[in-house]
Amino acid sequence: MLSLLIWIPILTAILVCLCPPQHVAGPRNLSLVAIGLTFGITMLLVFQFDPISILPQFAESHAWIDRLGLTYRLSLDGLSLPLVALNALLTWVAVYCTRLDVPRPRLYFCLLLIINAGVTGAFLAHNLLLFFIFYEVELIPLYLLIAIWGGSRRGYAATKFLIYTAISGILILGAFLALAWLTGVSSFNYDLLQHQHLPLTQQALIMGALLVGFGIKIPLVPFHTWLPDAHVEASTPISVLLAGVLLKLGTYGLLRFGLGLLPDAWALFAPWLATWAVISVIYGSCTAIAQKDMKKMVAYSSIGHMGFILLACAANTPLSLLGAVFQMVSHGLISGLLFVLVGVVYSKTGSRDLEVLRGLLNPERGLPLIGTLMIWGVMASAGMPGMIGFISEFIVFRGSFPIFPTQTLLCMVGTGLTSVYFLLLVNKVFFGRLQVPIPAQMPSSLFVLPTVEWRDRAPALLLAILIVVFGLQPHWVLRWSESSTTALISSPALVAEVDKPTAPILPRVPAI
Amino acid sequence: MLTPTTEYPLNAYIQRLLQGQALLPDTPNNLLEVVGILKSYGVVLDAYSTNLVYVADHQFLVLFPFFKYFNGDVSLKKLGRHLWHDRINFEYAEYCMKTMLWHGGGGLDHYLDSAEFVALAEKAMQAKTKGNWLVQGLNLLSSEFLLEQVRQLAYYSALGQFWRVMSDIFLTLSDAYDQGKITTIPQVVDYIQAGLVAAANQPITYAVTLDQQIYDLIPQSAGLTFLPDTAIPYVESVFFRGTPFLGTVSYNAQAHEISADQASFQYGALYADPIPVGGAGIPPTLLMQDMRHFLPDYLHQFYQKTQRGESDLRVKICQSFQKSMFCVTTAAIVGLAPHPLNTQDPQEQLANQHYLEGWLDRLATSELSTVQWTELDLAAS
Amino acid sequence: MNQFLLQTTYWVPLYGLLGAILTLPWSIGLLQRSGPRPAAYFNLFMTSLGLLHGFFAFVQTLNLEAQEVLWHWLTVADLDFTFAIKLSSVSVGAMELVTLLSLLAQVYALGYLEKDWALARFFALMGFFEAALGGIAISDSLFLTYALLEMLTLSTYLLVGFWYAQSLVVTAARDAFLTKRVGDVLLLMGVLSLSVLAGSLNFPDLYVWTETASLSPTVATLLGLALIAGPTGKCAQFPLHLWLDEAMEGPSPASILRNSIVVSAGAYVLIKLQPILIVSPVASATLVGLGTVTAIGASLVSIAQIDLKRALAHSTSAYLGLVFIAVGFQWSGFALLILFAHGISKALLFMSAGGVTLNTNSQDLTEMGGLGRKMPASMLAFVIGGAGLIGLLPLGGFWAMREGLSSFWYEHQWVTGVIVLVNGLTAINLVRVFRLVFLGSPHAKARRAPEVPWLMAVPMVSLAVITVLLPLMMQRLSLLPGWTYLNQEAVAVLVISGLVGCAIGAGLKLNRSGDTGFYPVPKAFRNLLAYDFYVDQLYRFTVVAAVSAAAKASAWFDRYIVDGVVNLVGFASLMAGEGLRYSISGQSQFYLLTILISVGAIGVFLTWSLW
Repeated sequence: MLSLLIWIPILTAILVCLCPPQHVAGPRNLSLVAIGLTFGITMLLVFQFDPISILPQFAESHAWIDRLGLTYRLSLDGLSLPLVALNALLTWVAVYCTRLDVPRPRLYFCLLLIINAGVTGAFLAHNLLLFFIFYEVELIPLYLLIAIWGGSRRGYAATKFLIYTAISGILILGAFLALAWLTGVSSFNYDLLQHQHLPLTQQALIMGALLVGFGIKIPLVPFHTWLPDAHVEASTPISVLLAGVLLKLGTYGLLRFGLGLLPDAWALFAPWLATWAVISVIYGSCTAIAQKDMKKMVAYSSIGHMGFILLACAANTPLSLLGAVFQMVSHGLISGLLFVLVGVVYSKTGSRDLEVLRGLLNPERGLPLIGTLMIWGVMASAGMPGMIGFISEFIVFRGSFPIFPTQTLLCMVGTGLTSVYFLLLVNKVFFGRLQVPIPAQMPSSLFVLPTVEWRDRAPALLLAILIVVFGLQPHWVLRWSESSTTALISSPALVAEVDKPTAPILPRVPAI
Repeated sequence: MLTPTTEYPLNAYIQRLLQGQALLPDTPNNLLEVVGILKSYGVVLDAYSTNLVYVADHQFLVLFPFFKYFNGDVSLKKLGRHLWHDRINFEYAEYCMKTMLWHGGGGLDHYLDSAEFVALAEKAMQAKTKGNWLVQGLNLLSSEFLLEQVRQLAYYSALGQFWRVMSDIFLTLSDAYDQGKITTIPQVVDYIQAGLVAAANQPITYAVTLDQQIYDLIPQSAGLTFLPDTAIPYVESVFFRGTPFLGTVSYNAQAHEISADQASFQYGALYADPIPVGGAGIPPTLLMQDMRHFLPDYLHQFYQKTQRGESDLRVKICQSFQKSMFCVTTAAIVGLAPHPLNTQDPQEQLANQHYLEGWLDRLATSELSTVQWTELDLAAS
Repeated sequence: MNQFLLQTTYWVPLYGLLGAILTLPWSIGLLQRSGPRPAAYFNLFMTSLGLLHGFFAFVQTLNLEAQEVLWHWLTVADLDFTFAIKLSSVSVGAMELVTLLSLLAQVYALGYLEKDWALARFFALMGFFEAALGGIAISDSLFLTYALLEMLTLSTYLLVGFWYAQSLVVTAARDAFLTKRVGDVLLLMGVLSLSVLAGSLNFPDLYVWTETASLSPTVATLLGLALIAGPTGKCAQFPLHLWLDEAMEGPSPASILRNSIVVSAGAYVLIKLQPILIVSPVASATLVGLGTVTAIGASLVSIAQIDLKRALAHSTSAYLGLVFIAVGFQWSGFALLILFAHGISKALLFMSAGGVTLNTNSQDLTEMGGLGRKMPASMLAFVIGGAGLIGLLPLGGFWAMREGLSSFWYEHQWVTGVIVLVNGLTAINLVRVFRLVFLGSPHAKARRAPEVPWLMAVPMVSLAVITVLLPLMMQRLSLLPGWTYLNQEAVAVLVISGLVGCAIGAGLKLNRSGDTGFYPVPKAFRNLLAYDFYVDQLYRFTVVAAVSAAAKASAWFDRYIVDGVVNLVGFASLMAGEGLRYSISGQSQFYLLTILISVGAIGVFLTWSLW
């Protein structure tokens, strides 16, 4: 069952490549159907999933290369389930909002499908090496998607992305190898490694590599500079995928492998991680305020909002981890929405410049519905109650506060700053009299933007509705993850450690 | 032909007027837009005019005029359409009326302050409020409470009469165009000018019937006529001055965005920015909305060819409307000129030049430069 | 049936929300050919329904003990979100007041905004507004209240930003949102701490917790300050008061609600928080301090305003300042009375002001005059509203202030001075405004001013009647003392202060030109007041400058240091030069490079394990 999620997109990718070139719409439609199918299967899995169980479900295991300890081992738990669903949803959105006249459609959709397969595979893999392979599989297509279909500085941005992520990959691989080597286990299977226990120093070393490796992907300050460039140069669908799903690989990896396999080192690093989260949040938010490019602003806001997840992971309480997973979903939907909207603005006006665009809410000549949805999106991002961003952040903060009160409060400043920069964006770009870049010597009242079609609005509407639905009914997302995240804390290694009186593992509740 | 002695910045427009052209360039697209929009404007004005006169005559000092937009024909079907807001937006007519009332000017404004009018109004007011202690009490508290309402009703009637004439001009113009008799913009201007001249001395009167008794409020003896007492104040109030739109201008007293001097207002139809039409706080949206229902097919098809087709219809209607209003303004300017514009007498030519410069000074900040363009012409070039 | 209506009282705010949702076909422009008024009718209908429902529920509450309705929303890990709704005569009565004022404001809006094609959006926002306000009235959960306060912030932003194409509206909406948001984020910090400390966020649980809570003084102080930050922003108290002045850019019907019940919602929350604030004497002292500064400062500032709406808006801050003082000293009864009396009277004053603005196309007090001769209903509304606000005639404001004077007659006597001062200054201001608007000879803009149409007059007159009848209602609800308990000295002081204020207001030499008020004081001081002590400039050079400097600094750091180092290291910049330009061969090279690195690493591992 789980293999279908990976192999349907890959087989479709091959099909897409075989599509006759005169079939212009073929690749797109094929992709839509394939991703729709995987989304349907995911939903089927969701309803068969047992939310109470903490064991990996729907497991599949096939020997692959025993000598390497590589096993084709997939399974689903509460940590990966929401992310797999998010991936299918956002890939579908990305395919849908791709321009109809995208050049080289066969290659384009083939790459998108491979990314989808790679990311799903990474979320499902229960073998470290298999995770790494999928993690790398997603890298090259994304590089190509930026390098071929990107903006004017695409070469630079794509290379930067490639180098950063390649380093990230090497570090992660190194960490995995070291883990297996040091524990002396000949397999990379997750459940096997989970029961191993390493001395603290060794854990710390591996942890360091993982932190930088996944920190690049999340991204955490100061390893983040590839992200704004990649976003600015990438086309809209790629940005949606990048912000919505790919960044989550970083936090997912940290949770799964950092926290899950190296609990002692995690406990040791936790206060530093929380402080790191604060720095990321404040730094990302402050930098976002100064941005003039809408896409860059949303990109920096991602850096800020991904910092919340790190805070929650560092706090490591049942509630905060649940919040972390929820925040991943929440950020995926919200940043997806924002990038879709920025994309529409860019495709209609030819600009994303906050100093140029004005008054796009204009009902006749502007993009009123897009503007309305943008207000919707930024409010969700700024943590407006009733939307998913609020409850996910609240759970993160509420879960983290008992452990790291100061850091939590400082992170909350980040939500305040979010409203500052996003309000600037809405006020500048959408309020006021309509103003768009126009050809020289043309009277501004005669320049007319292209019509916004319903197909431009549909993906944004879908995401906006989900944001409110899950904001009002967070339980629909949370219930799948609760057991798994709770189990993550009491992972076997940790339980073993509790018996030893010396180890400072259990979170200390400060006296307030 | 007099060569311009001054380097007047808008001299191109003056030359155009002197050569018998209009402020609007004479192009086939402009002609189509102007006549087409005047046709639908004529239909809308007809409805506005009928309603204004109805309110003035039959809703005289009615405290709760629930059905003032029904013109006396209250049926379930009409009520349904009214509630669904599937109707002419008569609020816009009232808005124009209030704008005229507020700016004043002309003989009507003057007359409404005269003792003669106050005496006439007093009689009608007494007849109407007989036995209504509440209203009488309020009128005791505020001595001009009812009088001010009657003044407003007089404006209802006057604007209704003015628009009756204009509606007829525009509709017959459209008929002439349909018959192929109108082929250029200057012909449009001439037609409107002729219509105005013909109606110039038509009297403006107002009387209400209460209990089968007729109460004169503006008798013919007051000597109010079409051109000086409604047309010119209307052009001044609605075309030029207007009122600041809440949607674009701040009323904050400390911000001083609105001049204390009404005469320096430039919010009228010739100045209004068409882009925000359709948005919040832009009253002319109502007019554009009304006109969209009566666009002749050729104009509708013309709009369909533009970039956004149907979705920015009201802005395009507003732009065409401004073009047509510049034609009306041209007719007024030409008609009111001190000497025929084609005079050969240098003295008269000089006087005309000064006269035209005076107008163009006022129009310098208007949308005059924008209406020289058309979206489709630009797209084609 | 009646019990059912009571138990389903929480539907009342939902009616407003439903009305807002029903406007969508018009407000997002799906229906283009017909106009937006049906959206308004839907909202009026839903609000009337809510009013009716609420009325039956209210009648029930009068004879019953307060009830609590619990609603389980979400239980995750060790966190339990159970919302509580309190059905008492006060909470349901407050909800009814909200719904009633909302209904009146909506009818008024139908007249005021008859020329506005965005009517549907306006009514959508009003429905949303009403839902949030009504919800706050009956909510008995701090979490729910917080969520609703945020909804209120959002709808304030959107309502102030209703005319979004106007430049001052843009800044006003921004400032309203950000100022309130500062308060909200601080409040959220308080809510979060309370949630951790007390374990529950329902008010009854919190009250119980407070009695036994032992917090360190620092934590208690911080908690208390965080909790009062939210209401400070909502109630437009110094230093978070600027937004109310700017919010007057919004449509008048929304201003009616904003100056009456929106600010009151913040104060209402504060009153609910008051038993918790006991943990922190500093917070209570801060409340008193902020309240005093705002009450006196805003009263003075209002006298120097030349903008009709702003002259009234600053006085709102002043009255809410009195509420802050009252809550700071735990006199909740006084606080509630002030809110009640002020809310209704101020709404009436704003209704009158809206009609004047509509008629004169101006808000400038120096451009009016003589309107009393032509607009009797508006004039009466202004007089009654003014009389209901100040302590002179036995209307709402009088009884509320009398309560205040009695409360502070023997203890904290200086507060009586503040109350009397606010009363006097408000009287001066209202008489001044009244003279400028309704008396004297008219300015050209006020020359032709027919009384407002019935859609605006009806709610205005209705509210005027309610204002006059308010003391009777107060008596029925046993809010007034018996005659024998009347502190006659206090009454005398109050009436004298009102009289003196009116007399000064009547005697002031009015200056019908210029930018500032009408003071016999030096111009610099007048300007200081007219421009609200230049607090906006203060903000610009402190908070705004700091945030923008931080933003610029971090952006610079990001670009030239973090990214600069990356580029300097040369990996990226080197590659970005020639080799990285997109070409088929370039692609495959990089593809190969990564694969090689990865495979190489795997290879190393492979050989390792062989050993």
